[in-house]
Amino acid sequence: MTVASQVKQTLAGLKGVQGTLRIYSTQTQNDETKNVFKEALEVTDNIVNDLEKRVQVLEFQEPQYKGN
Amino acid sequence: MQMWIQILLRAASLFFVTLFLIRLMGKRNISQITSFSFVSYIVIAVLAALISSNVITNLAYGFIALGTWTLFPIALDYLSIKSKLIHDFINGKEMVLIKHGKIMEESLLQARLTGEDLLRELRSNNAFSLADVEFAVMETTGDINVFLKSDKKPVTAHDLGQKVAPMTEPQTVILDGNVLNEPLAALGLNKEWLRIQLENTGVSLDNVFIGQVDSSGDLYLDLFDDSVELPQPKVKEMIYANIEQSQASLMTFALETKDENAKAMYLEDSEKLKQLMEKLKPYLLR
Repeated sequence: MTVASQVKQTLAGLKGVQGTLRIYSTQTQNDETKNVFKEALEVTDNIVNDLEKRVQVLEFQEPQYKGN
Repeated sequence: MQMWIQILLRAASLFFVTLFLIRLMGKRNISQITSFSFVSYIVIAVLAALISSNVITNLAYGFIALGTWTLFPIALDYLSIKSKLIHDFINGKEMVLIKHGKIMEESLLQARLTGEDLLRELRSNNAFSLADVEFAVMETTGDINVFLKSDKKPVTAHDLGQKVAPMTEPQTVILDGNVLNEPLAALGLNKEWLRIQLENTGVSLDNVFIGQVDSSGDLYLDLFDDSVELPQPKVKEMIYANIEQSQASLMTFALETKDENAKAMYLEDSEKLKQLMEKLKPYLLR
């Protein structure tokens, strides 16, 4: 597995986490818990952005693996 | 009028009158009332029995007595709410039986309790050893409540310095295969949500005996058919595990990459995730 695909895998995992966190942040009744989940969403958003940029760089460096 | 008809009418009317009077006197449990309130309940009961069986022939006199015995306790209750002095006079004061771990023998005598009685009461409060008790008080209703020494008290999350997620009471949304709309609405959910949840677990509504939703929105089901093994909601544990995995991968990337900028980025992100895990732990795992 190339580095790019490994990073993509992690990216996908994080996005999955985000989806579930988003569900919980709307389902939860308690405001405090809601805020914690929302905060978690922001943090993961940042990381997802970072990783997406990194994937672009990697694909630029190794165009032969693009799409994998 | 024939005697038996008279008694039937009296008994029937008094049945409802007494029911009404007792309801008027309040909701307190019979085991929690003071001895005197107990006496007034008995007097009401005896009066009702005497009137209905025609022992007290004059209805008016009977009802006057019954009314007095109902109104006075109610009046006293109101007065004792308004004034602490009257409250203490009517209900008495709570009595300290054990203080700083030492039994107050005089109080015990006043409360007409033997050592045996005290020990029994302590045991029913889960204090089998007298050495564990810091303080015990006899309430005005005769109940004995026990305050354990601080090192013998059950451990709470606060004692452990552990943060736990706030939890509100769960709501029962399915009972006997029927959807209860009111609790669902209280959670801000609707039937459609419930239908999707049931579909995901693969159960039909008629097979559900009880379904409860906890404050984080997870649905717990108990089925009529106990042979069906239902997966319990483990979604939160899954998210936590996923975050942990991502964090580990980021660390690996940081070690593997030759690009200094990328290394810094990976390290920073994995640190962020680590902090996030700490923060989410109480909410996802406990």
